[in-house]
Amino acid sequence: MIKLKIDHQEVEVPEGSSVWKAAEAAGIHIPALCLHNELDHFTSCMLCLVKDGSGKLFPSCSVKAADHMQIITEDEEIREGRQMALELLLSEHVGDCEAPCQIGCPAHMNIPLMNRLIAAGKWEESLKVVKRDIALPAVLGRICPAPCEGACHRKTVDEPVSICLLKRFVGDENDLHPWPVPPLEGKRVAIIGAGPAGLAAAYYLRLRGVEPHLYDRAPKAGGQLRTAISRDILPEELLDREIRTILATGVTFNGNTTIDDRHFEQLRRNYDALIVATGNIDDTTKAFQLAGTAKGIQVTGEGYETSEAGIFAIGNVLRSSRLAVRSVGQGKEVAFAVLQYFHGGKIIGEPRLFNSRFGKLRPTEFAEYLKESVAGKRRFPADSPRGFTPEEAVEEARRCMHCDCRAADDCKLRDFSTRYAASQKRFQTSPRRDMTKKFQAKGIVYEPGKCIKCGICVRLTEKYREKFGLTFIGRGFDVEIGIPFDESMDVALEKVALIVAEGCPTGALEPIRKAGDPLQ
Amino acid sequence: MADIKEGMNSVVDRIIAEKGREKKALIPILQAIQKELNYLPEEALRQVSAQTEITAADIYSVASFYAQFRMQPVGKHMIKICVGTACHVKGATQVYDAFMRKFGLKEGEHTDHDGKFTLEKVSCLGCCTLAPVVQIDQVTYGHVTTSQVDDIIADFGAQAGKKGKKQFRKADGTEIRGEIRIGLGSCCVASGSEEIKNAVEETVNANGLQVKLKHVGCVGMCHQVPLVEIVPTGGEPVLYSKVKPEDVKDIVASHFKPTGLLSKLKSRLLESVEYIQTDAKWEGIERYALDVRDKPVSSFLGRQIPIATEYRGIINPLDMDEYRSRGGFRAVRRALLKMTPPEVVSEVKASHIRGRGGAGFPSGIKWELVARQPHAEKYVICNGDEGDPGAFMDRMLLESYPYRIIEGMIIAAYAVGASRGFFYIRAEYPLAVRRVREALANCYAANLLGQHILGSNFSFDAQIYEGAGAFVCGEETALIASLEGRRGYPHIRPPFPAEKGYMDHPTLVNNVETLAQISWILREGAARFSAIGTEHSKGTKVFALAGKVARGGLIEVPMGTTIRQVIFEIGGGIANGRQFKAVQIGGPSGGCIPAELADTPIDYESLTKMGAMMGSGGLVVLDDTDCMVDIARFFLSFTQNESCGKCTFCRLGTKRMLDILESLTRGTAKREDLDELERLAHWTRKGSLCGLGKTAPNPVLSTLKYFREEYEAHLEGRCPTGKCTHLIRYVVNDKCIGCTLCAQVCPADAIPFTPHEKHLIDTEACIRCDACRPACPVNAIDVF
Repeated sequence: MIKLKIDHQEVEVPEGSSVWKAAEAAGIHIPALCLHNELDHFTSCMLCLVKDGSGKLFPSCSVKAADHMQIITEDEEIREGRQMALELLLSEHVGDCEAPCQIGCPAHMNIPLMNRLIAAGKWEESLKVVKRDIALPAVLGRICPAPCEGACHRKTVDEPVSICLLKRFVGDENDLHPWPVPPLEGKRVAIIGAGPAGLAAAYYLRLRGVEPHLYDRAPKAGGQLRTAISRDILPEELLDREIRTILATGVTFNGNTTIDDRHFEQLRRNYDALIVATGNIDDTTKAFQLAGTAKGIQVTGEGYETSEAGIFAIGNVLRSSRLAVRSVGQGKEVAFAVLQYFHGGKIIGEPRLFNSRFGKLRPTEFAEYLKESVAGKRRFPADSPRGFTPEEAVEEARRCMHCDCRAADDCKLRDFSTRYAASQKRFQTSPRRDMTKKFQAKGIVYEPGKCIKCGICVRLTEKYREKFGLTFIGRGFDVEIGIPFDESMDVALEKVALIVAEGCPTGALEPIRKAGDPLQ
Repeated sequence: MADIKEGMNSVVDRIIAEKGREKKALIPILQAIQKELNYLPEEALRQVSAQTEITAADIYSVASFYAQFRMQPVGKHMIKICVGTACHVKGATQVYDAFMRKFGLKEGEHTDHDGKFTLEKVSCLGCCTLAPVVQIDQVTYGHVTTSQVDDIIADFGAQAGKKGKKQFRKADGTEIRGEIRIGLGSCCVASGSEEIKNAVEETVNANGLQVKLKHVGCVGMCHQVPLVEIVPTGGEPVLYSKVKPEDVKDIVASHFKPTGLLSKLKSRLLESVEYIQTDAKWEGIERYALDVRDKPVSSFLGRQIPIATEYRGIINPLDMDEYRSRGGFRAVRRALLKMTPPEVVSEVKASHIRGRGGAGFPSGIKWELVARQPHAEKYVICNGDEGDPGAFMDRMLLESYPYRIIEGMIIAAYAVGASRGFFYIRAEYPLAVRRVREALANCYAANLLGQHILGSNFSFDAQIYEGAGAFVCGEETALIASLEGRRGYPHIRPPFPAEKGYMDHPTLVNNVETLAQISWILREGAARFSAIGTEHSKGTKVFALAGKVARGGLIEVPMGTTIRQVIFEIGGGIANGRQFKAVQIGGPSGGCIPAELADTPIDYESLTKMGAMMGSGGLVVLDDTDCMVDIARFFLSFTQNESCGKCTFCRLGTKRMLDILESLTRGTAKREDLDELERLAHWTRKGSLCGLGKTAPNPVLSTLKYFREEYEAHLEGRCPTGKCTHLIRYVVNDKCIGCTLCAQVCPADAIPFTPHEKHLIDTEACIRCDACRPACPVNAIDVF
């Protein structure tokens, strides 16, 4: 047995173990991308750099643990090195983690997944996807200016996917709340203002076991949705229906209640947290004596905390906006912040992951993207006031090009890039490569632009003795993983396609449908 | 079609039968296929895969890794344009561009429309003293200028088909009246020594002279080539430099006929006369000798101590008897017959010789490590994969002293208990390969290799392995991967090759120069060797001196000699009366040392301290016209191109550094870019897997350290030396006489044809090829 110290902790491992393995044994997870449990070390990604007693850096996956070693697995210098290694990898990473539409959506809705579910005719599943981020889909489906469609890659090819109408279709199709409501856990929150922001905040708090109480000076909930929008665009029955769905989860609404400074102090004493969502900054709101800016109440970046602990503010009271979807999105985000406040953690709002983005599609790449889509310009409902028929919705949803990465939820590169706050832009010193997608009949897709050249797939096909397999082609910066003699993916991966896709640390090689995919 | 395929298959089958079916035979198989078929057709590679145990994946990845291999057919003739350091600083890029224009090639195209010529950039042809150099098939053209492209192509056409007419008649030893020595190193050959040899043979044959014609290896005075030395029996030797074929008759006649001396042509070796600096204007193609004779000077040789280059210019590289008569094989005899292996190791340890390949690891300790391994089968590898642009020591040593290096290897093998050895030599050095191959055959015949060498109990086999063009294979673990038929991917050490090397057996990897010094140490004793040099760096070091120095060449000096002594005493100072600015030592792993530090003694430690590195010993002198940002960019583009691509910091770090350097030379960089460049350089050094990546930032870091103001100038859009073409413009001054010569040579039609008027250059159309400036007879073109 070998005895060494890792991060000042005594560790004992069998002889021959790598420093990386020794650290694992001690419960310390050193990041690594090119390491695979079936394969010998390869020493490519260099994320696993650690330090020995002398301060010398070395890749822990490839060095054997030895007696008396004193290893530091992370400090300022190592973090800097890992961040740079990630930034170098990202500098040539051609792929979007999340689709541009999702990033463009102020509520950050998973649009491509909704589209795929609609295309598969799974209405209830698609409603779940929508309601995870948007509390009022049928409403927003009628009034949203759809910034998502401005960001849609399909727009570069011909016309954007009619995302907003599809969302409306999902909302119209089903007015249920699609999940069981969890029991209350004892915390109570008062929300001042029952417009889109306040309603969304109430909804998502209730879904987390918090008891929300809405206060509004108007007799009915809805705020400006009720007053500032023509009934022709947004029929009252529809608004009522969608608000009812929210309130039915267990949200208390107190109408005809104007909250002045005295009330405000009361609420502060009686509730565990307050959310100000009054829609605009007026004298009543000013009387709350929260620090403000020229435009409204001042809050922290992602956490929506005001100058007073336990008091949050969202929506137009921060600054006036015509985007109801932004208010709805903030209502969702503040629920995260309030929960973080309750748990005593750092208040960061909705956790945001690193997002790789490669910018505009090039005309040469249209064909690559259309491989997962259908041709044809966007369609509109034949009966405009009624919205899409199910058939129309399916047709339109199929135009979505699957711009989001299949590995978005389990990509190690994304995970570590989040952890080390890596910036993709830092080393973008030359034009990106073209993006391509190669499909294999047995169900995997290869996107070379997302490859980090760690060789796990090459080594796996070698291990399992694929006749052709995958191999390194070229060298240096231009090295690529390819197939000998330009054979097809089917020829290359006869035996181990799924094993290889499973082993890929990024989204370069992925099953076309992953396990757990609602479309599986 | 079926016939062609069948024909191809039978070629491949024959090659496989000869080279073997195992993975380690892959590179020799591919080399042989390419030699026969001009490239690697897919069908041939499929046949290799079908007929051997090598997988398609291995074949494809190896064929695409090494620069030597081509998957597409090429033109009938290869035009290799050397873009090594020495050629770069003398305008190789402009020469390359001129050839591109000549054939009307766009970026990414390499073969002309008739399929006759293919252009290729090569990192170093090892003819640095003739820079810039262009090689068409086997014909080498030196000192090429952009305006000579047509002449060169025409001359090559005229040369085609010509062969040496007569063989030299061998004279009876007793009747020899003297010896005529002709340098036959690559530089000499490139400068026209073949023609000289033919002229001498002709003269000797025509006159029935009883003289011995002798081929000798490199003399080291590469700036003087071609060299002819006349050694009359009992008389004083006379060395003629830069000889032209038509002079040969007179030279020979003056010695072997009772006619008077041709004093205007002759000069005595070691005669202390001042060197006449000539920057002769080349008329036409300088494939032949110069029209002015230089006088050799004692100072070129004075400070040198030849150990690896012992008897240079005297011994015929392949004459075994002569090598023996000059003390050759005495060391191996002593080692094998009178010493035990541990005694040999101790002797080498006591000499304190350190690896001459660059990093300077003590050789004796390395030997001891291998010797200590209990394995039955061990290997020795001579690392001759010299790939530095601007270094040609290994080539010259292998070409000129093959026996000395083989002797060193046999001694090493005996000391560590190895039974097999490989000479890993770059395929770009065909002459070195040929010489070593022949020398090995002679050694087998003389029982210096094979079973029971010299009657001892020691048996040892050695063979040649041709590298396929990858600089990274100079790194020992990558070299071994290549030897095993794999991509030249290095791996982390430990395990060191000493424990687990070729085919997982203990393997000793030594550089050519290290092995070339071993026999001297064994023969003369460790004490004599360690008496030379500095405290931590003993013995001598061979350097390839090139660039803006008056007398370039190959030199061997004691460790501790100062940079100033090398450049000004041996090298005769800076050419063309320019200012000494810096010296680039150690090639792409090394750094630029500024003129202020010229009094630093050269040894491993001092160079590292200054941010350079011994490297393999390239020494390129830079003058005040050289842009240091451009030099850094040049080296980075080399290492970036040669990075194997295995680890993140090297694969991407070098690329991003190069991007930033390119934007600096284009004048588009921002101040933050400079900080990022420095941070990238530091991390590429710290985070890379092997020596290539770890040292790649040195040219950047050293120029940033000593020449930061030049980087600052580029940030402002200025290139102080006028080297960066994006930042300069060509302007006609009032000296212009309206002769239209500039307009005639301009390839971009940027100068209107206006006879008798002052010419104007259209800056928009100008491509900064520098053709007009030298064409102007009155120096009327300025660069700003």
